[in-house]
Amino acid sequence: MSRYFRELSVAGALIVVLLGLAVFAPAFYQPQPLLSLLTREAPTLIVACGMALVIISRQIDISVGSQFSVIGVCAGLLAAKGWPLGFVLLAAVGIGALLGAVNGVLVAGLGLPSIVVTLATLVTLRQGLNLVRQGEFVNLPDGLQWFGLSQSGGQWTLLIAALVILGLLGWGLRHVAAGRFVYAVGSDTEAARLAGIRPQLCTFLVFVFLGALTGLAAMMNLVQSPQVQPLSGSGLELKVIAAVVVGGVAISGGRGSLWGVFAGLLLLACIAPALIHLRIEAYWEKAIQGAIILLAVVADGVRSRRGGAKS
Amino acid sequence: MKRDWKALLLRHETILLLVLIAEWVFFYYAGTSTNRRGVVVGFGTLDRQFDILRHSCEIGLLALALTPVIITAGIDLSVASLLGLCAILFGKFWHDAGLPIPVAIALTLVLGGLAGALNGTLITKLRLPPLIVTLGTYSLFRGLAEAITRGAVTYTDFPAGFLFLGQERWLGLPTQAWIFFAAAIAIWLLVHRTTFGRSFRAIGYSPEGARYAGLPVERRVALVYVLAGVIAAVAAIIYTARLGQAKADAGLGYELFAITAVVLGGTSIFGGAGSVHGTLLGVAAIAVLKNGLATLPVVMRMNAAEEMAGLLTGALLLVALTSSVIPKLLARWHTRPHVTVSPTLKPKSTA
Repeated sequence: MSRYFRELSVAGALIVVLLGLAVFAPAFYQPQPLLSLLTREAPTLIVACGMALVIISRQIDISVGSQFSVIGVCAGLLAAKGWPLGFVLLAAVGIGALLGAVNGVLVAGLGLPSIVVTLATLVTLRQGLNLVRQGEFVNLPDGLQWFGLSQSGGQWTLLIAALVILGLLGWGLRHVAAGRFVYAVGSDTEAARLAGIRPQLCTFLVFVFLGALTGLAAMMNLVQSPQVQPLSGSGLELKVIAAVVVGGVAISGGRGSLWGVFAGLLLLACIAPALIHLRIEAYWEKAIQGAIILLAVVADGVRSRRGGAKS
Repeated sequence: MKRDWKALLLRHETILLLVLIAEWVFFYYAGTSTNRRGVVVGFGTLDRQFDILRHSCEIGLLALALTPVIITAGIDLSVASLLGLCAILFGKFWHDAGLPIPVAIALTLVLGGLAGALNGTLITKLRLPPLIVTLGTYSLFRGLAEAITRGAVTYTDFPAGFLFLGQERWLGLPTQAWIFFAAAIAIWLLVHRTTFGRSFRAIGYSPEGARYAGLPVERRVALVYVLAGVIAAVAAIIYTARLGQAKADAGLGYELFAITAVVLGGTSIFGGAGSVHGTLLGVAAIAVLKNGLATLPVVMRMNAAEEMAGLLTGALLLVALTSSVIPKLLARWHTRPHVTVSPTLKPKSTA
């Protein structure tokens, strides 16, 4: 119980919000809008899984939003050239892994702080994309949206795919040696090194993995609309980090689970519709997001101080 | 004596100064032209130089605010968002509450300090990492600015006396440059000429060591963030005066330019070392780059000065960061790990 206190408290908050919506705004539970909401959040969930790994290994990556935009536009251009979907998917994941590797080399290889490195790549990628594309949309060929299925068929496919990936990663992080390495490096790098893990390699691979997942997420976003927006990923990093931190992953590394991240993401995803249903203006969304991040880290800080005082 | 010369030449600030001069000379030749009526336009005119100074004041102030923060091994991502929030608050105090300009300015500065105190308290009292705290307030401050204005309201029609601050010249220089210079001198004195400022470096180098040396580490660190908040508020006032309007997206993305200027200026991102004059050179290097690019014919034809400047600044930050760790990497390369015999374990000389 106490071990999963943080995850359970997020799940509790989520249930309270869902019950509140059921009482005050039952319109929230219409199946089709709800399915659309969940599908829209599916790419965010995939990026959040990767981000959780990065934060567990005591790093951070704020360039995912720019990566997401760049990969989306690249994949869109390839698809418009007539590449089949499978190859586009591979290319997207490959480009993502490459962009992640750039961050990984700078952080793990040169020992630079990840926040500044990814701040630099965030802006370089975003402005590079603006420079090359000048804000142009990419029109996608016809058969691509929803994989050529019906809308609800495509939505279910995406949703199930996202949940399967979440399940595999959540299980693997607990029960596969590579997953345990991430926790080991995040909680004590030196001890991990003495235990025979190569922390630098582990950090590098975690960044590459996040990049690859971002590529996958960009594809999941791409098939949802007939066009690719050049700014599709702007602000994604905050949403993702908020979900990860709210979900109980310690920003100081070494602690957290993907189940918590899932609950955190659902909680945050409910806020925007809840604001609309409760007739609060949508302009508050960003401020509330910031407040929730602060609240989550403050709660963690208070808890760890109390825990530290006791022992 | 000879070694002193070499050390001075290889100092980070000296190299940066040479880069700045090279940059300036390049833009002077590539960015200046004569238009159809025979008037010299572009980078080489005095007006343009004043323009560069005018436009670099806000980012310069933010960089000055960040220098002590980064020296104490912290980071503040929220300064530019706070600039936006303070601009909106100032507009609201003057326009909606009907307060006179000086009172509105004073209130804005106080609120800026309080916002900085929020960062500082969370970081020191709860021992939270500055990165995630200021990432949260980055979102919170900008979000509040958007919520207050509902994403649409901008405050305009400021009186001429206030706009003088941002759009006119006083004693030959753009008015706000005097404020910037005053802040620069004050912070230089604080960081380099007081024991108070020296403690920033001690804290950044080793917070534990500083605590054992009897320094009130928490109080000093919190104060650095309060200072950053006040300076961000000053930058907000100047920004509003320059544009003549206060809006929620004021200073969007400035944190990158400010952090880049500080790191480029030789302040270690790991804390413990850095200089205010280095930061000023970094600000100048970025400002000249940003404005110089806009005068190049190639860039003007592409109409992409903003994007080019952002791209180059990001790349510049990466290069500066990489070059800052190269000596450390080289040192690690050259010193093979070998067993050293500690003096106490040495066998006693058989005498």
